[in-house]
Amino acid sequence: MESAGTSHGHGNIISEMLEEFNLQSTYGQHFFGIDLSPLSNLHLFGLDLSVNKAVVCLWLSTLITFGIIYYAGHGRGLVATGFRNMIEAIFTFIKLNVVEEALGHEGKKWLPFIGGLFFFILINNLIGLIPGSFAPTSNINVTAALAILVFIIFLIAGMIKQGPFKYWAHLAPGGLPKWMYVVLYPIEIITLFMKPLSLAIRLFANMLAGHIVIFSLLALIILFKMSLLMAPLPFLASVIMYAFEIFVALIQAYIFTILSAIYIGSAMHPEH
Amino acid sequence: MEGNLAHLGSGLAIGLATIGPGVGIGTIVGKTIEGMARQPESAGALRTTMFIGIAFAEALALYGFVFAILLFAK
Repeated sequence: MESAGTSHGHGNIISEMLEEFNLQSTYGQHFFGIDLSPLSNLHLFGLDLSVNKAVVCLWLSTLITFGIIYYAGHGRGLVATGFRNMIEAIFTFIKLNVVEEALGHEGKKWLPFIGGLFFFILINNLIGLIPGSFAPTSNINVTAALAILVFIIFLIAGMIKQGPFKYWAHLAPGGLPKWMYVVLYPIEIITLFMKPLSLAIRLFANMLAGHIVIFSLLALIILFKMSLLMAPLPFLASVIMYAFEIFVALIQAYIFTILSAIYIGSAMHPEH
Repeated sequence: MEGNLAHLGSGLAIGLATIGPGVGIGTIVGKTIEGMARQPESAGALRTTMFIGIAFAEALALYGFVFAILLFAK
């Protein structure tokens, strides 16, 4: 990193990018080359509600998700064709492979929630691949909010299905010696809170890691002193990583939804 | 030479955190392929379960990654 010192402070792209690469302001206004400075200032009740690029992208992905599902659900004709057919195929996949596998025959009423979750996370992941935009799921706040939503929902679903006291009694499996529960019950409580934590961190870290790898590969071009001989290699590698990111976005949306469905299912039907 | 021991720690954190999940994901995928080769008709169910297993193993590496970021941004 000795070239960072020589080209520092001139305001050119190279020194700015190297400063970004130095990760000094990861949680500040800049985020690996993406400008996240507030577009408008809004402070309500002691909360910072300023709008920046991440918030705009989140609104945009919410609108796209709503638009896609509304369009697919309100189309004319009995047989879905074209785009509607694609959305219907994805929903059928979720119904067969996620909902019915994790929740059984009574999983039908969970399909709107699980399917909506899948599409929302998928669009949120994919919107970060548009140059100049920002993936809302590579921010821990968005994924933590989604995970806490799932956490509250599976707690409430379990307590409604089994009764509020039986749910907490059934956290540890039955049929063991009495003294085992003294050890087992605290472990089960920790497991309960690790579920949403791991959901949030898995999605957040996967999306963040992909972006950092692409950014680091592009920064290699600068470390190679912009030589035309060496520059195509990191460029090619970053294009391959970009294609891999599409796959990761799909897989992570699928993993988040199937784990949510499994958690809801296990809260409603504990193993005995 | 810039940096401090936190940078060394962040490199070690992600490097060491990838060893276990690497072995684990290799085992999961290898065993899944064995199962698919033995019973091709159960390939769909095996693939679904494989992805869930990978997600659990991968989460351990990602904890290391988050700690590496926290140490590097220090």
